[in-house]
Amino acid sequence: MTQAAPGTAPHLLLDRLEKRFGTTLAVQALSLSVGRGELLGLLGPSGCGKTTTLRMIGGLMPASGGRIVVAGRDVTALPPHRRDMGIVFQNYALFPHMTVAQNLSFGLEMRKVPAAERAARVQKALEMVRLGAFAARRPRELSGGQQQRVALARALVIEPSILLLDEPLSNLDANLREEMRNEIRDIQQRLGITAVFVTHDQAEALAICDRIAVMRGGVLEQLGTPYEIYERPASEFVAGFVGRANRMAAVREASGAVQLGPLRLQGSGEAAPGPVTVMIRPHRIALCDAVPEGEGWNGATGRVARSTFIGDLLSLEVEIGGASLLVEQHTFAGRAMPRPGEAATLRWRAEDTLVFPRSAAA
Amino acid sequence: MSATPRNLLPLLVLPAVAVNLFTFLWPMLNLAGLSFREGLPGGGIGAAFSLATWGDLLADEFYLEILLRSVGMALGITGLALLASYPIAFFVHRADARWRNLLVVACISPLLISAVVRTYGWLVILGDAGFLPVILRGLGFAPPRLVFNMTGVVIGLVEILMPYMILSLLAGFGRLNQTLEEAAASLGAPPLVVFWRIVLPLTLPGILLGCLLVFVLTVSSFITPKLLGGGRVLLLATEIYDQAIVTLNWPLAAALSLIALGVFGAALLVYGRISRAAERSIA
Ligand SMILES: Nc1ncnc2c1ncn2[C@@H]1O[C@H](COP(=O)(O)OP(=O)(O)OP(=O)(O)O)[C@@H](O)[C@H]1O
Ligand SMILES: [Mg+2]
Repeated sequence: MTQAAPGTAPHLLLDRLEKRFGTTLAVQALSLSVGRGELLGLLGPSGCGKTTTLRMIGGLMPASGGRIVVAGRDVTALPPHRRDMGIVFQNYALFPHMTVAQNLSFGLEMRKVPAAERAARVQKALEMVRLGAFAARRPRELSGGQQQRVALARALVIEPSILLLDEPLSNLDANLREEMRNEIRDIQQRLGITAVFVTHDQAEALAICDRIAVMRGGVLEQLGTPYEIYERPASEFVAGFVGRANRMAAVREASGAVQLGPLRLQGSGEAAPGPVTVMIRPHRIALCDAVPEGEGWNGATGRVARSTFIGDLLSLEVEIGGASLLVEQHTFAGRAMPRPGEAATLRWRAEDTLVFPRSAAA
Repeated sequence: MSATPRNLLPLLVLPAVAVNLFTFLWPMLNLAGLSFREGLPGGGIGAAFSLATWGDLLADEFYLEILLRSVGMALGITGLALLASYPIAFFVHRADARWRNLLVVACISPLLISAVVRTYGWLVILGDAGFLPVILRGLGFAPPRLVFNMTGVVIGLVEILMPYMILSLLAGFGRLNQTLEEAAASLGAPPLVVFWRIVLPLTLPGILLGCLLVFVLTVSSFITPKLLGGGRVLLLATEIYDQAIVTLNWPLAAALSLIALGVFGAALLVYGRISRAAERSIA
């Protein structure tokens, strides 16, 4: 069983959770725990079982096996209306025949909150998402971002023990998405609410989650802080899915050095000697004047195959001994722009040279 | 659409309007005119304008009675058809896509058989020597009479009109979205509350349409009431039939038809009112 995030009491615990659809295993032996007040991201490619996991937590779908424990209480068999979880759906699922205020009030009515207190709490929740003036509107009279905020307020006004969000931002345009994700994070931290946030957008997950669970094919691939996931990916899959990376086939020698074509590199990672995959993030490779010597650095010389100026980024494709490396540099005025055909010298740190056992897939 | 200039579009509905004028409005006007003549013994129609037919009709409590009976029965049948159809339509709507089309066909397949045949079917089932009373008697019950009375008419009409109700409900279920129910459940609503507060309001348009359809069809049905009522259940439609075909009092039949038309008009009005109010809150 995995541990909760350090320093926090486990609030939500998934214990060997499993979901079978016919013969396919959508979620397999998923064990993880979420600390009180923690925002956990469920990240993974389409079809990896994120929604299925979230729906099982919310009670919208029975689990085929395993347990769901909230604050020490097994809720696996409880129907959704007795789980006390707030869910924000991808399509918002606002009740079209109710006003915004009635949408928010619904959950409070179910909890038999007296009318006067209900009205006050609804108004407060609407103000929290900056929609205080929209109480009397119908959902269809709101923009996508406003509907999204109503959905969030409706899930929060009941003060649920756990907040579940299934790709709540995927219907919004890029600018609004960034704004809303920060807003969700702010509110979640302000209220200190335990939350599970499903997304397939790695930037979103990295930006706001306390920890991220990366899933693949129904299996938990890695659980860690955004820093750990990004800097110390546990597998080739995680390294490729979170952030971008150059990926090259190489061979690790018994000494630990990695032979990549004619290049001999120092790499990080525990991969055993034999065929391996080397991954280097494009922006961790720097242009320099001379191949660096000594511990901790790798270097190579090559020829620029393509050079693209994208405003704040300079994107280069550099051929080094048969392999082609994508290199990204921040630009600044006066920086020389290497042209195709020119020679380029590159360097990057040994710890940025991620070495994984060669896997068939991914 | 760009190939059709906007001002040509009205031309497209012209044929339909013309046909309607000819086959509906014209006979209706004729009917109205006819009701202001006098029916003579032996099927003759007086040539002069006369208020006699309307006078007799309004003075005779019998006609008020059949009007109220027709409307009351239609309301009851509408309600029963709704109760019987809603679960079926809900089940069909929720069924796996693979089965849904098959189920829809199964639901409306009774329409392929004439109402007359289906009514005879009910006679066989419900008649004194029919298999339902026989079985009930065999089990030691003393079943009430199930045919040649109101009970038989109601049973028969509910079954015969259910396909219309189911189709209307299915058309209205398009608004239903399972995520809404899940959202309500996650907010703490037990299943019955979800139904009452979410499902029912959202399916109201389909309910109203089905009710209007079944109500109107009930008021205008006369074969089933005649056969299953055994001539003992007197309704507006059966009376119109009797006056027109048996007694040959065409002016009276015309006047009764106009009253039936009034009932339909009132039903449409109520339907419009309620569905507009519902539309405002759902849309
Ligand atoms: N009701 C269902 N019946 C059968 N298979 C299902 C059902 N729901 C999901 N699956 C399968 O389970 C797997 C996981 O689905 P899930 O919806 O959890 O993916 P996801 O990670 O949320 O993907 P996405 O990012 O596309 O939303 C998929 O392979 C999917 O085809
Ligand atoms: Mg999903």
